[in-house]
Amino acid sequence: MKLHEYQGKEILRQFGVNVQDGKVARTPDEVRQIAREYGQAVVVKAQVHVGGRGKAGGVKFSPTEDKAFENGEKILGMDIKGLTVNKVLVTRAVDIDAGTEYYVGMIVDRNVQSYTLMASAEGGMEIEEVAAATPEKIIKHRVDPVTGLRPYEAREVAIKAGFKGNLNKIADMMVKMSEAALKRDAVLVEINPLFVGPDGVPLALDTKFEIDDNAMYRHQDLADWRELEAEHPLEIEASKYGFAYVKLNGNVGVLGNGAGIVMTSLDVVNRAGAKPANFLDIGGGAKAEVVYNAVKLVSKDNDVKAIFINIFGGITRADEVAKGVIQALNDGILTKPVRMRIAGTAEDEAKALLAEMNSPLIQMYPTMFEAADEAAKEANK
Amino acid sequence: MGILVGKDSRVIVQGMTGREGASHSRAMKEFGTQVVAGVTPGKGGTDFEGWPVYSSVAEAKAATGANVSIIFVPPAGAADAVLEAAHAGMPLIVLITEGVPTVDMMRAVQEVKTLDAQSRAQGGEGVRLIGGNCPGLVTNGEAKIGIMPNKIYANPGRIGLISRSGTLTYEAAKLLNDAGMGTSTTVGIGGDPVIGTTFADVLPLFEADPDTDAVVVIGEIGGADEEAAAEYIAQNMKKPVVAFISGRSAPKGKRMGHAGAIIMGDVGTPESKLAAFKAANVPVADTMPEIIDLVKQALNK
Repeated sequence: MKLHEYQGKEILRQFGVNVQDGKVARTPDEVRQIAREYGQAVVVKAQVHVGGRGKAGGVKFSPTEDKAFENGEKILGMDIKGLTVNKVLVTRAVDIDAGTEYYVGMIVDRNVQSYTLMASAEGGMEIEEVAAATPEKIIKHRVDPVTGLRPYEAREVAIKAGFKGNLNKIADMMVKMSEAALKRDAVLVEINPLFVGPDGVPLALDTKFEIDDNAMYRHQDLADWRELEAEHPLEIEASKYGFAYVKLNGNVGVLGNGAGIVMTSLDVVNRAGAKPANFLDIGGGAKAEVVYNAVKLVSKDNDVKAIFINIFGGITRADEVAKGVIQALNDGILTKPVRMRIAGTAEDEAKALLAEMNSPLIQMYPTMFEAADEAAKEANK
Repeated sequence: MGILVGKDSRVIVQGMTGREGASHSRAMKEFGTQVVAGVTPGKGGTDFEGWPVYSSVAEAKAATGANVSIIFVPPAGAADAVLEAAHAGMPLIVLITEGVPTVDMMRAVQEVKTLDAQSRAQGGEGVRLIGGNCPGLVTNGEAKIGIMPNKIYANPGRIGLISRSGTLTYEAAKLLNDAGMGTSTTVGIGGDPVIGTTFADVLPLFEADPDTDAVVVIGEIGGADEEAAAEYIAQNMKKPVVAFISGRSAPKGKRMGHAGAIIMGDVGTPESKLAAFKAANVPVADTMPEIIDLVKQALNK
């Protein structure tokens, strides 16, 4: 689960990180109110789950209350990469030129089977850009998942990265960020910029925080932070059924049993000259009802012109899949052509059931390629 | 006889009395695997469909001489189950569970590696974890310690198979089987970002296995395990290797079902994986059936 900047900052604050003051506003009047309370220049920042807010005009310096109100009006309701801005964070402005901006972050790094701490003196920029152009400017360090980051390690990294200021306090911020990552099951946490003012004291001006979905069960206190409006309506519905589902931009609905087979199904649809409208994994051992719901979900998508079903039954029984598809057809939910490849456990039973239906809407093919080709043809008609 | 598992594998099932544990215990037995006991805390001393059940791995191991544990424990307790098996001295641990928190896996994998090193330093056989979020292992004609459908492993063969995806493992095994080649051992390493055994860990075992002539590696987007495998192959392997990469059309930044199947920034792209295999002279199949042609070509060289 991706967190908004204000939410990520709240977590960092709980772990003792020195975070820039800020409050959330939902109307321009609230923005003005906060600016008045702070009695100084503020920055109004769009709270949306996409990168590049600043470039899109979603972050604005506001020297006066009136300007803050005006910027609030501009940013609230704005569309950034398809997402509407419903909230802004209003923070005290900092004189960036008076200090230095650094970057620190931690990611799950499968290459070292733990977190990697990253630090760079190139703060305030997109870290991917720094990594691409000047990888030597990012200092990396594996964090022991049992002990966490120790202060001396953090100091060493800060020194290597060329950080100036109160090294103990900067290292302490990194240690606290590491504690937050481990205790809150972060997949990614960044403090960028980590601003070091003329007094040498570090201050977190912005953060990115993403929590491991597999660990959400132990962070129920954060469950209301999940904002369904930020997700596609079909993705919300899919999450109710427990499907692994991703909405994509094409015209062929794709479903299968298992992440690998669905990923490959997307590739095969692309090769067939169409585009997948979604990724949908019904999971292992799905019963007819699950398949019925999956077909219902994909059918609801107006982008879908044809459906490609790719099943290789292991734990999943092919006849259960067939029953789910047939039920959807009988209930009038399935109105789009289905082209399927069905193999594995109980394959013969499944084929018999589907053949008996004798519906022109549902056709079976011996390989995933033929089924995908036919689905693509139908979708591109 | 393939690698890691075989006729001598004596298997205990952690979570045998749960729904998944029970059905797969039966399927493994049908395959011919020596399933010797179950472990369910609190049910020690009972019997489950003819198998003795113990409350701890240590008890089960002491009583049965088991040398493999397969785990069907739900995500919240899965990493703990791994550590229990590792500390009980189980040399091979197979974690099937999907959805284990990554931080738990980081800690478990690190501890397993420490125990492995200690065991080896003392002349022991070490501790190896396969998975999580994996379908397990099969040595054709000998033993299955996993959840693969039994049917597709009808014909023993001489092709080693390693995969991050369960369903694509089945697909590849069936293709090899139908082409009359068959597999020696299949190792499903799992689709999570942090797993116990990687491609590069399995490849040397196949290289050393007299019953394996060639290896098929089924990778997917996300991470850099395929790149590490390619590097290992280029430097160390004499046996031919053929690869396949799934998710080549996946968009950046979206998690494709597997927790590890995500392109983050410039890491985990199909381009990088294809380039790495190309540099290692490993042919990459564009479609799964093409794997068969490439394996045939490689063997005829």
